[in-house]
Amino acid sequence: MTRIRKGVSAIALSCVLAGGLAAPLFAETSGALTVALAAESTTMDPAKYSAGVDQYFIGTMFETLVKPMPDGTIANWLAESWSIDDSNPEKPVLDVHIRPGVTFHNGDPLTAADYEFAYQRQSDPSVSRWSHFQANVERFEIVDDLHFRLHFKKPDSSYVANYLQLWALPKAYFEEVGDEGFGKHPVGTGPWKFVSRKVKEELKLQAYDGYWNKDHRPGVKDLTVKIIPEDLTRVAALQTGEVDWIDNVPPAMLADVKGLDGVATATMPAGNHLFLDMDTIPEGPLQKVKVRQAIAHGIDMDAIIDSVLFGQGERYAEVPEGGTGYAPDLKPFDYDPALAMKLLAEAGYPKGFEVNCYNLITPREPNMKEMGEAMFAYLGTIGVRCKVVNLEYGAWINLGRRDEKTDQLEGGLISWMWGQGVPSDPAIAWGGHLHSYQPGHGWGSYSHVDDPEFDRMIEDVNATMDPDARAEKLRAIAKRKHELVLGGLTTYQPLVTMAWRDDKVSYTPWPYPGFWRNFQEIGLKVSD
Amino acid sequence: MTRFVLRRVAQGVFSILGASVIIFIITRLSGDPVVLMLPPEAPEALVTQTRERLGLDLPVWQQYLMFLRDAATGDFGTSYRWEMPVRELILDRLPATVYLASAALIFSLMLSIPFGVISAVRRGSWFDRFAKGVAMLGQAMPNFWVGLLLIIVFAIGLEWLPAYGADTPKHVILPAIALGWYPVAAQTRIVRSAMLDVLDSDYIRMGRSVGVPEGLLIWKYAFRNAAVPLVTMMGVYFASMLGGAFVVEVVFAWPGLGRTVVEALFARDFPVVQAGVLFAAVMFVIANLLVDLSYGLIDPRIRHDR
Repeated sequence: MTRIRKGVSAIALSCVLAGGLAAPLFAETSGALTVALAAESTTMDPAKYSAGVDQYFIGTMFETLVKPMPDGTIANWLAESWSIDDSNPEKPVLDVHIRPGVTFHNGDPLTAADYEFAYQRQSDPSVSRWSHFQANVERFEIVDDLHFRLHFKKPDSSYVANYLQLWALPKAYFEEVGDEGFGKHPVGTGPWKFVSRKVKEELKLQAYDGYWNKDHRPGVKDLTVKIIPEDLTRVAALQTGEVDWIDNVPPAMLADVKGLDGVATATMPAGNHLFLDMDTIPEGPLQKVKVRQAIAHGIDMDAIIDSVLFGQGERYAEVPEGGTGYAPDLKPFDYDPALAMKLLAEAGYPKGFEVNCYNLITPREPNMKEMGEAMFAYLGTIGVRCKVVNLEYGAWINLGRRDEKTDQLEGGLISWMWGQGVPSDPAIAWGGHLHSYQPGHGWGSYSHVDDPEFDRMIEDVNATMDPDARAEKLRAIAKRKHELVLGGLTTYQPLVTMAWRDDKVSYTPWPYPGFWRNFQEIGLKVSD
Repeated sequence: MTRFVLRRVAQGVFSILGASVIIFIITRLSGDPVVLMLPPEAPEALVTQTRERLGLDLPVWQQYLMFLRDAATGDFGTSYRWEMPVRELILDRLPATVYLASAALIFSLMLSIPFGVISAVRRGSWFDRFAKGVAMLGQAMPNFWVGLLLIIVFAIGLEWLPAYGADTPKHVILPAIALGWYPVAAQTRIVRSAMLDVLDSDYIRMGRSVGVPEGLLIWKYAFRNAAVPLVTMMGVYFASMLGGAFVVEVVFAWPGLGRTVVEALFARDFPVVQAGVLFAAVMFVIANLLVDLSYGLIDPRIRHDR
């Protein structure tokens, strides 16, 4: 038997911390804080989450087996230890020992039976929108109350990449209250327990006294999470003292907010990764690598980020620093319009060409419409004349999705985004937009690439559960992807800024899950 | 009277059915909601399975009949996005929007009635021009911008009123002004021209000649008759405020229906959009019915049983 992974692995988190991240100085767990988010979760049941926004709330009350720490290292969390037995490499086994002494908010102890229940629930397609992530698990074996094993049909590295997938769900409580009851009054093991929720208004939480982790826990008793979608109103609420902490400070107001007395900020890359995808399926200019390279050199991303995003974006080359598969020698393409025009001429387009450019309009990330318009405008200067079509999110995703009928982009460009998480792990995203489309297999659902070598490389990564070997293989894909400018020209990661009242609040931003909004460590500052 | 009410209710039901057919068809032309619900890497089999589970694989006419059947029993289905009963989602939000729209309507009437009446009485005076200016200002500024200005001035600057939320009566003041200022110009114009007509009529001249006090003459005898065209338009104004509340709801984080339905529209959350439009249509029909019935109270010459 070969044990290939144990304990803690260190993955550096790329983050810019403008407000400083000193160790929290908490008072006793008492008092109350009010925070405001721009968006809210649609569900509070981890098995039903559908998008990153859902983890804002779920991450406060529920926990995973492993978890990224504020410094980016990934630590065992509800798992005391875990390992992968690959003595039969075709059918690996994930062996997990649960941390003893963990209890749910209703007092029930966390056991292997709860994880079996979580596995069943997360693999049921009528419940979970991510049931395909459990598709490679053959069976769940309970060894004892604090020990379970997952037997795989075949290797599945997404399990490792996604913090061992399973959320801790209380089996007995769920059986008592049912699906609807659980959704209305969730019970987890997290630092916060549910008090009440008014959709579109607020979530009320209370620090869980029985929380197992005495070192990393809230320093305030009551937390009210308000939902304020409008940027200026959210900032106004911080200014007037109606709330103590806000997320998503709009880029245009960042300088003003940083200038406010008694306000601290922290800025970090979001979990979303933006790129300019190019349809290389139909015959046309984008099939030529020199045209794609010309496009890569024809956009001054730094200038666009500075002027349109007020600097609130960070360029990356395939995988951001700190992500799995990050290649330090890969750098974002330089802006070089002369080289771009030369490459176009060499590709047989000395006078350029016309192309459809689809631009996503969504408030999901700041100024996305303007970012796309600026990029397409730059392309016009090298001869790639964009016929810009603005699309709202629903129309955009329907246009980009592949189905058995046709590739709807018809050789065009489209601004796209696909979260790699925090810290980044691109395997799932690349399986979707770099692997060729294969109906019925889950590959290439939004891909406009048909490259057998990438297909082979991505499938190989998916079958590699060893983290180091996996990272090396992802690095090789990143290099080839960058060289061929396939599966999208990586443009930038938006930066997210949070602000809080520094005289009152002590806050440490914890990364994914929840993108810093799960308030693992927030509290009242001790007055001198 | 009863026949009139029954006839208007029947017309209202017909209008609501018409609205439901239109919204049902339009939502289904707008794209596939399942693609938005599932993660991007979801395999085709899961997409198909989800479509079947939601009944989206059935012909549209069949989906519509099922919707009607369930709606008749008060079941509007489950939100694709929120995974909760739509009736609960809508009914929880509707009172907030009706409250906001009502407050906005009251605010607009509080401005437009005195503006219109006094402008007519003092035609061409400085007040006439001032009222016109204030009213036109409201119409010239988009309500989200008014909302932001109000927050800057009254919440951040003066610290008199809260910037967001719906917890206390104080919270409704700024959103009601932002929403209610826009129709003030049109309402003032209606009141002013109706008052000008009435003030020229014989019974007003007669009243003056027999010494009826001017205030009584204007506010009791003239305004009562001049109010009929305003009341006629009130249903329309109220409906437009219900619809227009969305932007204001977002600006002030007001937990209303408009915000819920528009977000549902972008998420292709068909059950919520259908129910939201249906509820809005019902509100519109009820508001207009109440307006029709109120004529008789304002002007005794209008009797529905004649």
